[in-house]
Amino acid sequence: MTSATFPSSEPKPSWTRYFSFNTDAKVIGIQYIVLSFFYFLIGGLLAMIIRGELITPAADLVDRTVYNGIYTMHGTIMLFLFIFPVLNGLNNLLIPTMIGAPDMAFPRLNAVAFWLVPIFGTLLIASFFVPGGPAYSGWWSYPPVSLQNPLGNLLSGQGLWITAVALSGVSSIMGAVNFVTTIIRMRAPGMTWFRMPVFCWTALAAQSLQLIGLPALTGGAVMLLFDLIAGTSFYRPEGGGDPVLYQHFFWFYSHPAVYVIILPVFGVFSELFPVYARKPLFGYVYVALASFIIVGLGLIVWVHHMFPSGVAQWMRNLFMVTTMLIAVPTGVKVFAWLGTLWRGKLRLTTPMLFCLGGLFNFVFAGITGIMLATVPVDIHVSNTYFVVGHFHYVIYGAAVMGVFAAIYHWFPKFTGRMPYEGLGKVHFLLTFVGANLNFLPMHPAGLMGMPRRVSSYDPEFAFWNVLASLGAFLLGVSIIPFLLNMVSSWVRGPKATHNPWNAIGLEWLLPSPPAEDNFGEHVPTVISRPYGYGLGQPLVENQAAIERELTLQEATP
Amino acid sequence: MTTAIPPTGSITPHGEGGEGHANHSLTGFIIFLCSESVIFLAFFSGYAVLKTSALNWLPAGVEGLEWRMPLINTIVLVSSSGTIWLAETFMARGNLWGFRALWLLTMALGGYFLYGQAVEWSELAFGFTSGTFGGTFYLLTGFHGLHVATGVLLMALMLIKSFLPGNYAKGEQGVQATSLFWHFVDVIWIILFVLIYVWQRH
Amino acid sequence: MTSSTPRLRPLPLLGLALWVGLLVLVSVWMSRQAYHWLPVQASTAAPLVDGLFSFETGVGTFVFLGVISVMIWVVLMHRAEKYDASDAEPIEGNTKLEVIWTAIPLVLVMGIAVYAIQVNTRLGVLGPMEHIHPGNAVEEVGGYPGDRLPPETVEVIARQWSWEFRYPAAGVSSTELHLAIDQPVTFRLVSDDVIHGFYIPAFRLKQDVVPGTAIDFNLTPTREGRYRLRDSQFSGTWFAANQADVVVEAGDAHAAWLKQAAAQPLQSGISDAVQEYAVRDRKSNPGWATVPPAPPPQVNVPGSNTLPHDA
Repeated sequence: MTSATFPSSEPKPSWTRYFSFNTDAKVIGIQYIVLSFFYFLIGGLLAMIIRGELITPAADLVDRTVYNGIYTMHGTIMLFLFIFPVLNGLNNLLIPTMIGAPDMAFPRLNAVAFWLVPIFGTLLIASFFVPGGPAYSGWWSYPPVSLQNPLGNLLSGQGLWITAVALSGVSSIMGAVNFVTTIIRMRAPGMTWFRMPVFCWTALAAQSLQLIGLPALTGGAVMLLFDLIAGTSFYRPEGGGDPVLYQHFFWFYSHPAVYVIILPVFGVFSELFPVYARKPLFGYVYVALASFIIVGLGLIVWVHHMFPSGVAQWMRNLFMVTTMLIAVPTGVKVFAWLGTLWRGKLRLTTPMLFCLGGLFNFVFAGITGIMLATVPVDIHVSNTYFVVGHFHYVIYGAAVMGVFAAIYHWFPKFTGRMPYEGLGKVHFLLTFVGANLNFLPMHPAGLMGMPRRVSSYDPEFAFWNVLASLGAFLLGVSIIPFLLNMVSSWVRGPKATHNPWNAIGLEWLLPSPPAEDNFGEHVPTVISRPYGYGLGQPLVENQAAIERELTLQEATP
Repeated sequence: MTTAIPPTGSITPHGEGGEGHANHSLTGFIIFLCSESVIFLAFFSGYAVLKTSALNWLPAGVEGLEWRMPLINTIVLVSSSGTIWLAETFMARGNLWGFRALWLLTMALGGYFLYGQAVEWSELAFGFTSGTFGGTFYLLTGFHGLHVATGVLLMALMLIKSFLPGNYAKGEQGVQATSLFWHFVDVIWIILFVLIYVWQRH
Repeated sequence: MTSSTPRLRPLPLLGLALWVGLLVLVSVWMSRQAYHWLPVQASTAAPLVDGLFSFETGVGTFVFLGVISVMIWVVLMHRAEKYDASDAEPIEGNTKLEVIWTAIPLVLVMGIAVYAIQVNTRLGVLGPMEHIHPGNAVEEVGGYPGDRLPPETVEVIARQWSWEFRYPAAGVSSTELHLAIDQPVTFRLVSDDVIHGFYIPAFRLKQDVVPGTAIDFNLTPTREGRYRLRDSQFSGTWFAANQADVVVEAGDAHAAWLKQAAAQPLQSGISDAVQEYAVRDRKSNPGWATVPPAPPPQVNVPGSNTLPHDA
């Protein structure tokens, strides 16, 4: 990778565009990512309070009501204000550039979808300050406990929670319609389905799940809101309602939601391993298709979150089987990545380290996932810290690390600067150690019977909790090198060329950063399969001319 | 103002259809409608579960649902799907006044449906909070009614735009999308009618 | 599409076989260790659940270590040379491998599923949709043949935030659950307010208690001792404090306990929430609004939840 100077033929776009209603997907992508990390810090602060409380058995740090509000908002913020928006940010940056489109299919809709995020984010944060405090029944908001509304006010933290989640759903559906339409309709000439990068395949799969699953959550949440403020009894037993019905609505979306989270990360791994091993993605077609098998299966497993709820035995067995089956297409991907790495020429850059660490954590989480799928074991460990450990391994250990990998990898492309490698490696090390130290001890605690969501616990669980809290504090520290790196690299990092990693992909045939309309009218025609490392074939027509022109521009003072 | 390089001979329009962003709107709208149908499916299945598992489905004092007026409403709504289809054929043949007449007729039929729904609501002996029966009834018919109202509003918008000079080519997509939405609302109503008025539990 | 089948010579093949053998040994060892991560086994369900978990730990360890071995190997042995920026071999796939690594996991997970279904059936854990038919003398009840003594019935009332246990046959109520060893017992779980979770880790059993329904749930304790019952489905402010003790005792001790309990007058049972609530206003940070706790159940024997427990 080389530093280069840029031609100063155009006025630099103003930084204020990031604070405006801008319809360029690349601006919106950065907006999503930066905003989501702002909320990540808030959610992370809440996690520090949680682990501070749990470092001792007694409920002695904050009042129990405060603890319950904090853990509820930690989960809600991390899901709806961090992970979903940051992934939408990546989608905005990567989808148009990877397929050679000038922008998304509906640029104004794109901006509206983004600006809904700070709106419902403000609603959610504001709920801390209404009388009665925020929602306190976990990010699931199960009735009847979520309907209790001790103060009886029309304006309650729970009501704000439901409204925020509904708005989040609207924003996500807008985004999903946009991403799906763009991928289906706006690919470059020559880019057939099986010449499309895997990140776009997984994005398409994930957004399809959003389209199918979100309306069920919205419907269930609307009914919850009516129960809360209008006196209906959809879920109130005393009015003939059924609280378990809510669980079905909730999980019909929220299980596929976890695939919405992990599929793009699978896409990131599939993009990065070939680059940093200098080898084609092993079994590209199977990796692409496995994404849709995961979509199909992902829609028929939701009851595995409800095994102890009081569902029939046949239902438990059925959903156990469907859940186990998801291991197969997931395994296809994991083995494909191993096949990609095997006999490659590995380069342990920061993005690669995050991918390797993420894969390590993901495989571990997959094993505990199989355990959770089997009903007898799940009956024992459901609603214990075993589950909390499992899903944090997936979300933090795999998904967040995948997000970091993507940010470091594509940072040069979209900011025009190189991130600092040393700080990146420190960030990786602290994250990997911190995550494992934080979430591994949760498994024995859960196996021994420590329930989740508790503000206090029996003394026999203290040892594991102390370890977990230390890991959490380490994770808190780990974010510092990341933030320092991002800010200082963007402001004064070395300038990046169009392809610092020597990667194969349409986005690497654009300058760093790309023009507002990417390729504009001159979209190259794709002539070969993706990930052609070692094959020596160009990806597009006239590639040599394109590269020459880019290099010339970069060399011109 | 682009730093993109002009390679030889591959100046291509956006997208595969060749007409810029216009033909993507219909695609996006269809995708949105598919997603929207899931929320109705969710309400339908919730309704079915609550209805079949209820010990006492009907609230005290309620014997059942009057089905004659809703049946008239159904006929009106289904007819309006016919009139909107006719309106589209007029538009395809370039007959703008024919299109506008039938379009207005469709709006009137839709408006009548909403009026009929309001009248029915006002005469009912139970409310939104009358157990799961009342809750699901008003939720389903209310949410559907909201869509009918939205459809009528969209039609009004298209009608106004049809008077703008030179709007014909761009407006076609809007008319198609609105018409698709209207048929969707109609199909949802048929399912609703069967679930609520035909399948009655006593 | 270029593909390449790895050609293994005898020495690497032997090395690989040794490594796999080592992984198998470690996996078997881990599967034995798994039992130590779980509480004591105090019900008929526990050995079944633990056996499944141990098996899964063994298989999981093997798969995890196998994948990690490959990752460590490539990181150590397949690194690019310092100034080598060239590409590696363009191996794009191998259909035979794809079939193998689809088929083997499929068979493996289906095998685990079959085993799990068998355990699930043997657990005899009943949900609200299933019923025992006590008329049939030889029918299995909770894993035991029907010629055993009829199961004892205990009504469990879950509240915010206390557990009340009623023995209708003996006319006894308590906030400490007493069970006779080796005696099948049927619980009738009801809730007065919100969803709670009836969870006894030592028994490996858990059932949500849903208001508006009465759920029948049975089990058979197999070890004397004192165990914890914890609320496992978030139920509000004092959810974490909603714990009770379960005492498993010999049959005659149990009968004696019931007899002397029946003679006790009703008094307030255990509810930590009520005690914390009483001093709440005096705290420096009383927190946000809360539903007040239900009054403590009036029971014959309050029992204790502060004695040391086995699990």
